[in-house]
Amino acid sequence: MARKLILGLLTLTLVLAACAPAATPTTEPAPTAAPTVEVPTVAPTVPALTLTDGLGRTVTLTGPAQKVVSMAPSNTEVLFAVGAGSQVVGRDEFSDYPEEAKSLPSIGGSMGQYSYEQVAALKPDLVLAGGINTPEQVKALEDLGISVFYLGNPSTLEELYANLNLVAKLTGRESETGALVDSLKARVKAVDDKLAGVADKPVVFYEIDASDPNKPYTTGPGTFIDLLIARAGGQNLPGLTDAYPQVSLEQIVLANPAIILLGDAFYGTTPEAVAARPGWSKIAAVTNDRVLPFDDNLVSRPGPRLVDGLEALAQAIHPELYK
Amino acid sequence: MRHRLLPLVWTLAFLLLAVMLSIAVGSVFIPPSDLWLLLTGNISGSLPEPLATYALIIVSIRLPRTVMVALTGAALGTSGAAYQGLFRNPLADPYLIGVASGAGLGAVIAMSIQWPYSFWGLMAIPMAAFLAGLLTVFIVYSLARVGRTVPTTNLILAGVAFGSFATALTSFLMLRSSGEIRRALGWLLGGASQSGWMPVLGILPYLIIGLSILLLSGHALNLLQFGDEQAHQLGLPVTRAKTIILVAASLATAAAVAFAGIIGFVGLIVPHVMRMWFGGDYRRLIPLSMVGGAAFLLVADVLARVVLAPQEIPLGIITALAGAPFFLWVLRRSKNQGYW
Repeated sequence: MARKLILGLLTLTLVLAACAPAATPTTEPAPTAAPTVEVPTVAPTVPALTLTDGLGRTVTLTGPAQKVVSMAPSNTEVLFAVGAGSQVVGRDEFSDYPEEAKSLPSIGGSMGQYSYEQVAALKPDLVLAGGINTPEQVKALEDLGISVFYLGNPSTLEELYANLNLVAKLTGRESETGALVDSLKARVKAVDDKLAGVADKPVVFYEIDASDPNKPYTTGPGTFIDLLIARAGGQNLPGLTDAYPQVSLEQIVLANPAIILLGDAFYGTTPEAVAARPGWSKIAAVTNDRVLPFDDNLVSRPGPRLVDGLEALAQAIHPELYK
Repeated sequence: MRHRLLPLVWTLAFLLLAVMLSIAVGSVFIPPSDLWLLLTGNISGSLPEPLATYALIIVSIRLPRTVMVALTGAALGTSGAAYQGLFRNPLADPYLIGVASGAGLGAVIAMSIQWPYSFWGLMAIPMAAFLAGLLTVFIVYSLARVGRTVPTTNLILAGVAFGSFATALTSFLMLRSSGEIRRALGWLLGGASQSGWMPVLGILPYLIIGLSILLLSGHALNLLQFGDEQAHQLGLPVTRAKTIILVAASLATAAAVAFAGIIGFVGLIVPHVMRMWFGGDYRRLIPLSMVGGAAFLLVADVLARVVLAPQEIPLGIITALAGAPFFLWVLRRSKNQGYW
């Protein structure tokens, strides 16, 4: 019986492998999807745009997108920052910055599921997907004949600038973006200059969630928070390997951070609450009153406000330089 | 004859209603007059706005989704009825012996790999889920076997233990990964992650095979209700029948889960409701659970789309959130308390 079952399982695998591609048009768009890019009916003088996105897909637009739907808060911030805010016609549920983005129609997304119907009804000429979106979601919109550009998450500030330039190309805002990137670079350099020669690198504990105060969540290597803490003249908790690890209170007490930043301040965590937690009172940051609420959106969204985040971190970690 | 078919007519009418609801209702409001025009008229011709957008929404979004959800519901309802009969246990559902936990583990492992954006890259997750689901059933079956027989209790215990193991491993992998938690959680809570006709074509062969076998297994399931020994004396090759039913139900469930994620509760309550309303004869219960499962899941999916529109609620949450009170209502009202 067992052998029969193994055989059956193998056969099934083969059947699945054999029939699936035959039954479906592989990479071609669904038959109902209208070809979107080939026919330049509107403005034949505008050169077509061809760019490679974060999934390695080649995206071709007939010209700069005039009706853009953003699927991620970071993308919305990028779009508004490069001056294309007036071209945004829809946004995901989490997009709350800048203020005017909130009045745009939402396409869902708060539970990881988007309403493709809403996207189709907005009739965008470009959907800007982000790192929080899945390839399946990109495919679903592509099948509707909508141009989708997947803006991969940057992992360095240089990659952030590259992302800004990509979105600028997609929306025809290159000139404004040149100035934006220059000013961002200048602000980063100002922080670097200020910190030049500072030898003291205090240990910083960045708290994401401490629902269990004995095992709070923090951020580790590979995240912007980790990168920006180092850039702002501090050092993250030593010994972390995962991007979003849960660390034991023992480790925190041992590392004795000089500064605790409350990325969960938005959810109601206060410095007083931290001081009241059993076992936390002896940590240097608590005794020296250096537990600070921090706007997590500045450092968790891979958009232009990361530079705001860097400045805020530098001020929190080295207040003596900003007197 | 007429009387025996009446329940099926009722559930089919309910299914038809659910299908129409699923096509008519969504986060974008389509005026009934336009809807009527599109459904009766020719959709392929060039249409004026906003009809063209409505046509795109109906043909490319709602229609494939409706078919997919109906097929998933049918697979879960039928498999649930078959499992309950096979295990003679009112708590049995299609996930009892580990299809879902195995599929979940397969899916999360596949999600941890960066697949290229291609047909096969997109197929990697459902294929991994499908194979891991079936593999789990096979492992559980092998572990539960004693000589030439497969005692039901062994099967349940091995399934529950192996399922816990797989679930724990899934949670561990999810917490270790940095970016895939949302994706994995979305999958584990149920709801189609892929849209269009591709998933429909992907699961159809397995559903046809699995559900056809189950539809023909009503008599065997009736005999199994007397216990293995009695069924054997009544001329049923017990172990073979049980294995065939188990494989068929697992095949249908694994295929549904692979594309739709883990949607709980459907496979548990639909067979019970059908049993309370229309009796426990498996020759009727199996087709009724198939149609009823499809209809119930369609209604749940409509709710998932409209309750917080334009946001969508994962389907697995709705089935339990709306399904449990409904089930309890049926349970309270059922005059036939000793129905099982």
